Amino acid sequence: MGAKAIWDKIYKTFATVRTGIILLITVVIVSAIGTLVLQRPTSDIDVIRRTYSPTTLLWLDRLGLTDVFHSWWFITLLALVSLSIIFVSIERWPNAWRFYARPYRRPEAHFRAVLPNREEFAVKDAKEGIDAAERAFAKTGLKAERIVDNSEVSLYAEKHRFSVFAVYIVHFSLLLIFTGGIVDALYGYRGFVAIPVGDTVNTLEMHDNKGNDIKKPMPFALRCDGAGQENYPDGTPKKWWSNLTVLKNGQVVKQKQIIVNDPLIYHGIRVYQASYGQTGKLDHAELRAASTNGTGTPKLITVAMNKPVELDPDTTVTLTRFEPDFYVQDNQVFTKSESPDNPAFELKVKTASTGKDITLWLFPRFSNVSQGPVSPYTFAYADMKMANFTGLEVSFQPGQWGVWTGVLLMAFGLTVAFFMAHLRFWAMVVDDPKKGLVLWVGGACNKNKERFEARFKELTGAIREELRASGNGDSTQPKTNGKTQEKTLAQV
Amino acid sequence: MSHAKAEQRPGTAGTTLLVLVGLSMAVLLLTALLGMSKAKTGPIYSESNMLYTALVFFAGAGALYMSYGVTGIERYVKFASGSTIVGFIATSVAAGHRWYVAGRPPFSNLYEMLLSFVWTLALLTLVAEKTYKVKIIGSITMPLAVVSVILMQLLPSEVRPLVPALQSTWLHVHVSLAMLSYAACAVSFALAIMFLVQDNMKTESFQALTALGMVAIYASMMLRFRSGGFAVAGWDPQQQSEIFIRRGQSLFVTIPDLGWLFVLVLISTLAPLALYGVARLRKSEEFYGYANQAMFVTILLQVVGALAFVMRAKGGAYPSPDADGLVPTALAASPFLLAGIVGAIFAGLLYLLLMWRREGLQKMLPGADELDRITYKTICIAFPLLTLMIAVGAYWANETWGSYWSWDPKETWAAITWLVYAGYLHMRITRGWKGRRAAYFAILGFAVVIFTFFGVTYLLPGMHAYA
Repeated sequence: MGAKAIWDKIYKTFATVRTGIILLITVVIVSAIGTLVLQRPTSDIDVIRRTYSPTTLLWLDRLGLTDVFHSWWFITLLALVSLSIIFVSIERWPNAWRFYARPYRRPEAHFRAVLPNREEFAVKDAKEGIDAAERAFAKTGLKAERIVDNSEVSLYAEKHRFSVFAVYIVHFSLLLIFTGGIVDALYGYRGFVAIPVGDTVNTLEMHDNKGNDIKKPMPFALRCDGAGQENYPDGTPKKWWSNLTVLKNGQVVKQKQIIVNDPLIYHGIRVYQASYGQTGKLDHAELRAASTNGTGTPKLITVAMNKPVELDPDTTVTLTRFEPDFYVQDNQVFTKSESPDNPAFELKVKTASTGKDITLWLFPRFSNVSQGPVSPYTFAYADMKMANFTGLEVSFQPGQWGVWTGVLLMAFGLTVAFFMAHLRFWAMVVDDPKKGLVLWVGGACNKNKERFEARFKELTGAIREELRASGNGDSTQPKTNGKTQEKTLAQV
Repeated sequence: MSHAKAEQRPGTAGTTLLVLVGLSMAVLLLTALLGMSKAKTGPIYSESNMLYTALVFFAGAGALYMSYGVTGIERYVKFASGSTIVGFIATSVAAGHRWYVAGRPPFSNLYEMLLSFVWTLALLTLVAEKTYKVKIIGSITMPLAVVSVILMQLLPSEVRPLVPALQSTWLHVHVSLAMLSYAACAVSFALAIMFLVQDNMKTESFQALTALGMVAIYASMMLRFRSGGFAVAGWDPQQQSEIFIRRGQSLFVTIPDLGWLFVLVLISTLAPLALYGVARLRKSEEFYGYANQAMFVTILLQVVGALAFVMRAKGGAYPSPDADGLVPTALAASPFLLAGIVGAIFAGLLYLLLMWRREGLQKMLPGADELDRITYKTICIAFPLLTLMIAVGAYWANETWGSYWSWDPKETWAAITWLVYAGYLHMRITRGWKGRRAAYFAILGFAVVIFTFFGVTYLLPGMHAYA
């Protein structure tokens, strides 16, 4: 078999609707599996390890089932679906185009005999008959075209010829959407960045497809000038906001306050407000230091992590540890959460003259006096401020324009496909050897049969009236045949 | 024979039933009014009063539609329609009142979604009846509306302010499209089933399918089996919400012995299926009869199970593996369990209706071809709505989370639903699939819709955890 023959075979297989359906079913099954098996990019690694045994996980990984939607065979599957769409469209396009470009305007004898929706009226005069028909067409909103062939005049009216292309529009829009998705998969990226208030960052944290963390440098720097959270009266979050500044080469290029649903957009890169939270770290705390000798009033000092504060020329105190929400286990202090519900401060008091280092712990909610060995100073909690960060999603998705264009086009295509029917009507006066001069009227449509049949009935009714009015019509009954009689079964 | 009996005295039978239904509705409304004046639950147009009114009228409508199904008396449909219209107006007032109080349309939690769903259901019932002349559809949609309103009473209904991600107009557009498309799919499902009835699908096949559905529901309930007990979510009565151990994970309590009861019910749902299988293999009429008796038994057991569940879950306190002491629970903590249990019983009752009154039903429904066409038309409406819903959801996700498609389980299953209905359209348009095969496809499509709407939320948690 030559190359051309092989190509023909491939083409023929893909250019059928049946192949398309099989591919579609495969996509459905594979996608369903991708929702039932935990996927690495979106699941916590601990959850994955807890759910599957190491052997199961090994096989799932090998088969690509832990990252279905980025695996090569899924992408190949989507590529095959696209190929199938393209080939089927190419295969069927010539006929569609021919149908569109060369409408069947003049009803030949055989056509007139077999068209399902047709009616015949006896007329006395050919010209009057066609004129009456033309008036009737106009009355029912159809613009009739006169076709003259050897002094035989026939009428042709149609609506929405364009609708034959609807299916191609819909499938093309699907391809557009796929293309947009592919562009984004290749050139787009998404990452997360947490900026402590006041800081500047220029790298993103991202997960690659295996779930590993990687850092990606951004083409600009982001500075968070301020951030906050507003709550509803019952405590649930109402609004997270950040004041962001974009810096390029040290110059301020853009500034915006963003909230959830209102991102900052700079050169196609979008920065979204995703969250806001406690880093669990202390910004600073205010403590009252009281001398145990009883001399003097307690001093209010401000401490920050690992920054010694002088209490007197001989003594300094340093905050060495801070836990926002402490609990004690095995004589060790741990923290339950990042939220400062139950803070613990570890303070080291250093006396220069004796060189002694004393470690004290202060648990304000438990007892607002520092605990520990005998110390020249004791401490009480007065106030504190936590360090917060603003959580931002950064995404760059250049292909999204393909996606949105595809979506709009698909909406248009579906509307045309389902709600615009291609209607065609013909009228012609024929000299029938048995019946005499007869006005033949016929119609056809490609969808929405009931609406068409109602319209056809309206047309024939209008023709009957016009014929009667012009005195041309034959008494009452039209010589009917065909489907128009069987109409009312549909209208139960 | 019973059909002839009804025809002999249509006047008396008809009037009696109408009077009965009318009286019951009047009594219910009267008690509500009396209760209202005592407890001062607010003006008559308040949300809860209007919902109760809607419940009463939908229940009346459902009873009348089903009676029409049984007897064929036209007058029932007129009153049923009228009742549906009143219920629809009441639901609209309820929704409007809630909108006014909350300052936004009702789309942001399960309670509000059910409210919107009930409204859409009533609307579609009226449309199907007036435009497509399918008068019997109310016998399925009205009971569904009643169940939904009852479910709503169990859910937390305070107007809660929206979390930041939901504060967007796109929410309203996305959710209303979802409601419309799911409702259209539900209607196409009902029509496909009616087609199968008209297409002379054997009653035994319906029996097998109903039993299969029941087995599916009770088998998935077995996920909650805990050494003889049944696990349900705990409920915090002060907060009026579920209790969470950590983010996304609720606290479960174990109701003792209920697990065994549900195992028994599961076995009883397998019985008719098994007997059907035997009957088919042996081609024995006798076994079809046994299968029908088994259906009776399982429906009874399911009612017993439902009652036991309701009595135990309604305000009891039970031990929990994740907490000390007894933790309270409430019916509000398990709305979908309740919906599944009630739905299975309802399906069983519909099967009984079919079994007893098949010829009468077939005389009343439109012809098979007609139903086939209307099913297709309904899907032609549902499919563009589904497409728009997915597109708007993607656009909104892009605005909020920075990505229009993240292969989230809900997104993926919505796409699967879309592909299944696209498959239906392809098979119908290009391969000429009509009749039975198209009906099966439509039923499959709706099963996928149900999984997307409920199954994903409860079995596959992810980012879409709002509803």
